[in-house]
Amino acid sequence: MSARFDERAREVLPDDARVEWHDTAVFDLRRRRDLAVAEVPDWEALRGQAAAIKAHVLDHLDTLLVQFEEAARAAGARVHWAADAKSANQIVSELLAARDVHKVVKSKSMLTEECGLNDALEGRGIEVVDTDLGERIVQLANEPPSHLIVPAIHWSRHEVGELFHRTMGTPAGESDPERLTRLARADLRKHFLEADAAITGANFAVAETGSLVVVTNEGNADLGMSLPGLHIACMGIEKLVPSMSDLPVFLRLLARSATGQPVSVYTSMVTGPRADAELHIVLVDNGRTELLASDAHKRALGCIRCGACLNTCPVYRRAGGHAYDQPIPGPIGAVLAPGVRAKQGGAELAHASSLCGSCTAVCPVGINLHDQLLTWRGEVRTAGPGERIATRMAAWAMGSARRFDLAGRAARSVWGLLGRRFRGNPAEPWLSSRELPAHPGERFRDQWRERRGSADE
Amino acid sequence: MRDVALFVPCYVDQLSPQVAWDTVDVLERAGCRVHYEADQTCCGQPFLNTGARREAKRLAARHCERFAKHETVVSPSGSCVATVRNRFAELGIDPQGPDAQCRTRTYELAEFLVDELRVETLGARFPHRVAVLQSCHGLRDLGLAPGSEQGPDAPETRDAVSLLLDKVEGLERVTPDRADDCCGFGGTFAVKYPEVSARMGKSRLAGFSGAEFVVGTDVSCLLHLEGLRARAGKGPRPIHLAQVLAGRAPA
Amino acid sequence: MNDREIVLARIRNAVLHKERHPGAYRAPDGPGGWDAFADRLTSVGGEPAGPYSPSAAGPALRLRATELADGGRIVAEASAAAEVGHGPWDVAPSGGLPHAFADVAVAIVRGEIACAENGAVAVCGADAPHRALAVLCRHLILVVDPKRVVTSFHDAFDGLPANALDHHHVTWISGPSKTADIEQSLVFGAHGPLTLDVFAIER
Ligand code: SF4
Repeated sequence: MSARFDERAREVLPDDARVEWHDTAVFDLRRRRDLAVAEVPDWEALRGQAAAIKAHVLDHLDTLLVQFEEAARAAGARVHWAADAKSANQIVSELLAARDVHKVVKSKSMLTEECGLNDALEGRGIEVVDTDLGERIVQLANEPPSHLIVPAIHWSRHEVGELFHRTMGTPAGESDPERLTRLARADLRKHFLEADAAITGANFAVAETGSLVVVTNEGNADLGMSLPGLHIACMGIEKLVPSMSDLPVFLRLLARSATGQPVSVYTSMVTGPRADAELHIVLVDNGRTELLASDAHKRALGCIRCGACLNTCPVYRRAGGHAYDQPIPGPIGAVLAPGVRAKQGGAELAHASSLCGSCTAVCPVGINLHDQLLTWRGEVRTAGPGERIATRMAAWAMGSARRFDLAGRAARSVWGLLGRRFRGNPAEPWLSSRELPAHPGERFRDQWRERRGSADE
Repeated sequence: MRDVALFVPCYVDQLSPQVAWDTVDVLERAGCRVHYEADQTCCGQPFLNTGARREAKRLAARHCERFAKHETVVSPSGSCVATVRNRFAELGIDPQGPDAQCRTRTYELAEFLVDELRVETLGARFPHRVAVLQSCHGLRDLGLAPGSEQGPDAPETRDAVSLLLDKVEGLERVTPDRADDCCGFGGTFAVKYPEVSARMGKSRLAGFSGAEFVVGTDVSCLLHLEGLRARAGKGPRPIHLAQVLAGRAPA
Repeated sequence: MNDREIVLARIRNAVLHKERHPGAYRAPDGPGGWDAFADRLTSVGGEPAGPYSPSAAGPALRLRATELADGGRIVAEASAAAEVGHGPWDVAPSGGLPHAFADVAVAIVRGEIACAENGAVAVCGADAPHRALAVLCRHLILVVDPKRVVTSFHDAFDGLPANALDHHHVTWISGPSKTADIEQSLVFGAHGPLTLDVFAIER
């Protein structure tokens, strides 16, 4: 197995100030969400509507996809299907190669992140420029995003300044966010004007009309869709909504949940290609149908990638996005990983949650995230043989009051020893920051027997 | 006089028997007759929590059997009550069958006092500044208080623990920062990921500055925070609601 | 089997076609009208102007566009020019590469409908065939009819013209382009316009 969640978290945890700062920055998004939600009197009804639409969509995905395909074709788009990441990457690579594309501007798409599209294209000598500012920062730093909507939230302004200086030749020592943003804008503008193709994701796709909906604050997807002569949109098959009138339901929820904005700056709906361009849509499965077949987990496919569950998650805020080591971090990432990506360290993530339930409480489409994590724990085996035996023995001991009694006595006799042996030993993670509680001695059941007798037995 | 069976979770039995006694005391003051089933062990939560569903199911069934003859079961632990009430069904302990009885009649202490007994005062005195630790299971699974996710202007429905504390003589309630952020215990989570858990607990404790005591309804969260506080050598002392309501002076 | 058949077969194995669509959503009433829109627009970093009568609009718009352009190039989509008349702007030519708008300082584009709930204005492909213009410019001015302000986003979608989707794009714009990707500091003008003015002009 690859490094575990706690080992990866250990890369950030010792830097206390940094953990504090990350926690504060991320929780600030949660607070903004709270304020925005309080302004919407029908919030709960809206969530219910969104959840019901998603349930309908997921249960009619075959017919809706075919309907979408026909409508998109009728509007002049080309539609491609990819059963997995490899196939998706190949479709995109071939489209680009056939048109002799050298440079692609890409706007944020978690799907292409999941498929590893950048690497696949760069392997074929195509330059891929991520254009979302946060995404660009992590691309220049050669690392994965750590958050769904603010990919570089773990970077300080000083670090960004140094990175830009090193990679873009901007003035040394610059750390003002506004000036850094301007510098990145100027650099990326050049790439936009030079690019031969644009790749975007899609936040939603409308079955009835064949339209794609792409949402950004920066306008990067809009530049991509309006400049080069080729636009390729890669989307998961679960992104459909039946009709146009379903869109405002999700759009009213999305930005408020993400950043507390009433709506994102750009909500761009395209139906068919520009008069002077080509539009290709790649519909990607890559494990989604496996989740679809699971009654316990299909609801997770309703996710609109707002990031609210990350922002509220007490574990994510401290451990950071990279500790999850998945295309999508946080509670939703941990829910998606154990099935499809079990072998890539995904199974363990079912345990990387205190199950506080705050994720479920904020999710705008009503996904029962913490319940699903608990369900996964019963479905995927992560425990080693030692832990499994210990679990069985403990359950056996608990199975009778007498055995529980004996086990308790045994524990009390070694309790003191534990504390002395491990106290302050940094190699023992549990006790490195905690005192063991003093053992109180006699158990309640014995005390009750002594003081109140056995009237109830 | 109301007959109440006491559900003393396994770790309370072992590690915090005094909390169970305080609970007995509070219930008796509130006019209940308290019964105790001596062969109770564990509701199965720790097993369910690690994904050991078979073991959890066995213990859940056993738990229901032990309490089947009681109409009302009360426990000083929100997470165990949430397990009984919300999770037994998904273990296949049929909520419609005879086992359903213990699902519907198990209450967390604060909730029982406020919703069922509608106690006005328990005559307790606790002249200290205290802050409430909203434990996640009590908060989000049992609905003991409106969660902060409902927004800053959430309809002030109720907060059972605060309602009770506000009736205690001499007690001053302090509003903590991020009132319901998880303390980081999470059962087996704290065992599997002790460092992340400790970091969460540290922030949680820092959010209570200004309070002398942190009052909670879940012994597990309180023990976790006490362990961290004791090592740090500073911070408010975590204690159980039952102790405050019983008016038992802190040691 | 090709990928299409594989994916569809996997889906058919998993779905039951049982879950019903919940039906149309009805939002509660809220504050509407131009004033509510203007407040919301301000809160998202945009500048409301007006409402102006058709005769007063031209001078006000010329003044503002000139000020924003600061000597730079001003371009209006034909649909907007038709509403506001002549001014210091060129009408966007048909044909040519979208890249030709890269140096535009101020763009003037007609908005179809505005939404008070979130400050968004719909820019429809029929009115804005030069899609790149509204994103490449440094400053964007949208022109809307104050009678076309609706309360909720649901109403706004319902109010789109029936043929809105026939012209490639419909773009909802709420405020100037922005980012907070560096330490959560809000910066306007990430990739698109640094400022957004919305002029209400009675039609
Ligand atoms: S699971 Fe819910 S809260 Fe989390 S990102 Fe998806 S939609 Fe947002």
